[in-house]
Amino acid sequence: MTTTPDDLVLNVKELYLNFYTYEGTVRALDGVNMFLRRGDTMGVVGETGCGKSVTAKSILRLVEAPGKIESGEILLYDKDQETGQIQEIDIAKLQQEEMLGIRGNKISIVFQDPATYPNPVFRVGDQISEVIELHQDLSLDVLNMKIAKLELSLSASTTSENRAEIEEKINYYKQQLDNPPKPDKKSKREAAKLKAIEMLKLVRMPAPEQVANQYPHELSGGMRQRALIAASLACNPSILICDEATTALDVTVQAQVLMLLNQLKKEIGSSIIVITHDMGVVAETCNWVNVMYAGVTVESCATLELFEKPIHPYTAGLLTAVPKLHEDRDRLPQIRGTVPNLITPPSGCRFHPRCDYATKICKEKKPLLEEQKPGHWVACHNPLNS
Amino acid sequence: MKLRDFVLRRIILAIPVVFGVLTITWFLSYIVGDPITMYITERTPDAAIPGIRAAHGLDESPVVQYFIYLSNLFQGNWGVSTSTGADAPVLELLAMKFPATIELAIVAMIFAIVLGIPLGIISATKKDKVQDHITRIFALSGVSMPIFWFGLMLKYLFFFQFSQWGLPYLPGGDRYNIRRFSYEPTTGFLLVDSLVFEHNVYMFTDALVHLIMPGFCLGYITLAIITRMMRSSMLEVIKEDYITLARSKGLTERVVIYKHALRNALIPTVTVIGLAFGGLITGAVLTETIFNWPGLGRWAVRAILNADMAAINGFTLLVAFIFVIANFIVDMIYGVLDPRIRYG
Ligand SMILES: Nc1ncnc2c1ncn2[C@@H]1O[C@H](COP(=O)(O)OP(=O)(O)OP(=O)(O)O)[C@@H](O)[C@H]1O
Ligand code: SF4
Ligand SMILES: [Mg+2]
Repeated sequence: MTTTPDDLVLNVKELYLNFYTYEGTVRALDGVNMFLRRGDTMGVVGETGCGKSVTAKSILRLVEAPGKIESGEILLYDKDQETGQIQEIDIAKLQQEEMLGIRGNKISIVFQDPATYPNPVFRVGDQISEVIELHQDLSLDVLNMKIAKLELSLSASTTSENRAEIEEKINYYKQQLDNPPKPDKKSKREAAKLKAIEMLKLVRMPAPEQVANQYPHELSGGMRQRALIAASLACNPSILICDEATTALDVTVQAQVLMLLNQLKKEIGSSIIVITHDMGVVAETCNWVNVMYAGVTVESCATLELFEKPIHPYTAGLLTAVPKLHEDRDRLPQIRGTVPNLITPPSGCRFHPRCDYATKICKEKKPLLEEQKPGHWVACHNPLNS
Repeated sequence: MKLRDFVLRRIILAIPVVFGVLTITWFLSYIVGDPITMYITERTPDAAIPGIRAAHGLDESPVVQYFIYLSNLFQGNWGVSTSTGADAPVLELLAMKFPATIELAIVAMIFAIVLGIPLGIISATKKDKVQDHITRIFALSGVSMPIFWFGLMLKYLFFFQFSQWGLPYLPGGDRYNIRRFSYEPTTGFLLVDSLVFEHNVYMFTDALVHLIMPGFCLGYITLAIITRMMRSSMLEVIKEDYITLARSKGLTERVVIYKHALRNALIPTVTVIGLAFGGLITGAVLTETIFNWPGLGRWAVRAILNADMAAINGFTLLVAFIFVIANFIVDMIYGVLDPRIRYG
């Protein structure tokens, strides 16, 4: 898949990843391809075990032993804040230490379960300010904080000498605004805490000051997920990955969080990858979709196009499995068969044992992802609707 | 406010525990032997026995005797120990022997914690690597080696062999060098007395040096238990989702392990530490014998061999108190470590 890199933030090309387990080699990713354009919200869909989470973790290089990236590229197009120059970084080839500046800063992730992902023993605010303190300079914030504090004491103090002294200090700090000095650790921490509260406000958390001082177990699931989102957005990442970020929430909260994400995307200028089982979520929030089957990208196109004219037989099956409101059916149709074992995956096209359109070549040769129509990539020997 | 309520509740909960121990030990000693034997010798005329029995209230019904015992306890009369040669009040003897044992137990505990926690962490983070194997062998030896054998081996190597080889060697026993110093107990804690009351740094260092071998010998089992506990809880914790989240933030492995994982992994380890502390006091018997340590352990063994019931009851009660206090401290530390049980 190629488009001009100008408008891309991420381009995953032919990613292969194995897990070396006692039972055998799990060929978990077998040619994942996906690109993400600036400002897009891309959905990644597929049945359970098809490698969505592993792909997400690979993008952050969080897959641990026995998992290993075999080949492929994960290209991050990183825009320099000042010069506007775009730099291409291949994440798949970076060392773990080099990943530290990317994680939580340029790419961040929100995981599925708000019950188990926050650390139970730290305050919510501290878990957000931690990442801010880690990646951000904050010297300007510290200076502004100091000025704001002095101004507050100015309005409180009465004696004229006192006032003069404080005003002098304020002026001294204001002179530094163009070129703020490096802050000490303590005031940096304080500024990060204030910023964490700002982030909680941004995700529309009720009573943010109070919540910042609470522990995760004192919050509801939806509030915890908001806090996790606040932490992941705190450093204005260019990519936000939501791995089933709303699945564990009840339906109304789910809708709220999704709407919030799409609003924040505009405010922060991030692009979002939404990993989900739920075609409804895709239809509502994503403008691009990437369909995966057993570790392979099988179809990739605009959301509307996918819903109207799916080309890959697997996608077509997935879409008929989605219940529609005006339909009255006794049983939901399912794709026959089950997800294959990835230790001994089917030869050729991994979908062939379950495919109604399979022919001889499907067993022998793996179909390549090709642009069947402009802007519509499919990996199938016998594409539908064409 | 919350903390005060918590402390109060713990104290109220501790009362029935202490009473339970008290009642059970008294009842056991009542059915095990006739306490009259403590007050008579073979030369006591038979005719005098009923008088002695009445004088000590031993002709009353068991219930009355139990209440006499209780009321005596609360008045600070814990009975008279007869196994020490010159009969002496149990409470006085406990106060005299207790500091030596507690000092030893604290040093043992420091060894166990200061070495056990880092070893457990290394073992977990280097799972199945050389560091892990060495640590596990070390810990396994700790839980499987008999303490009297280990103590003797330590003494043989660091005292006897080192002196043979002309190396600086560790003292083979006692709390301090009795030929160099004379010691008049103030608090009974030698480290405190030497430094605070006698201002004698030499005596303090001497006491410290004397604590190394017995302290390590006594602490080794606990050290091994803490290491193993820390390893397994660390292994559990680093599989948790919040560790993945911490990594996804870009934190260094150091911060992930020592900030995010450690605090959680300490929670189960602290329980073990609390329980082990009581065990150190009772377990000191062998160590005290090997290193000629004038503590409670040896005294209690002699009391048991001589069926010195007052002394045994006193010792049991003291150990029960220590268990209760250790668990109380553990609960406080819990509250600090884990916000989820703070108000529980
Ligand atoms: N640590 C591991 N060891 C071995 N195999 C693994 C490991 N982690 C994942 N896998 C395998 O990788 C494949 C992809 O798993 P992944 O978690 O990415 O699926 P998923 O698409 O996210 O599914 P779900 O929708 O259930 O979250 C699965 O077949 C799984 O068995
Ligand atoms: S390649 Fe063949 S088996 Fe695979 S989806 Fe297409 S038709 Fe079906
Ligand atoms: Mg998943």
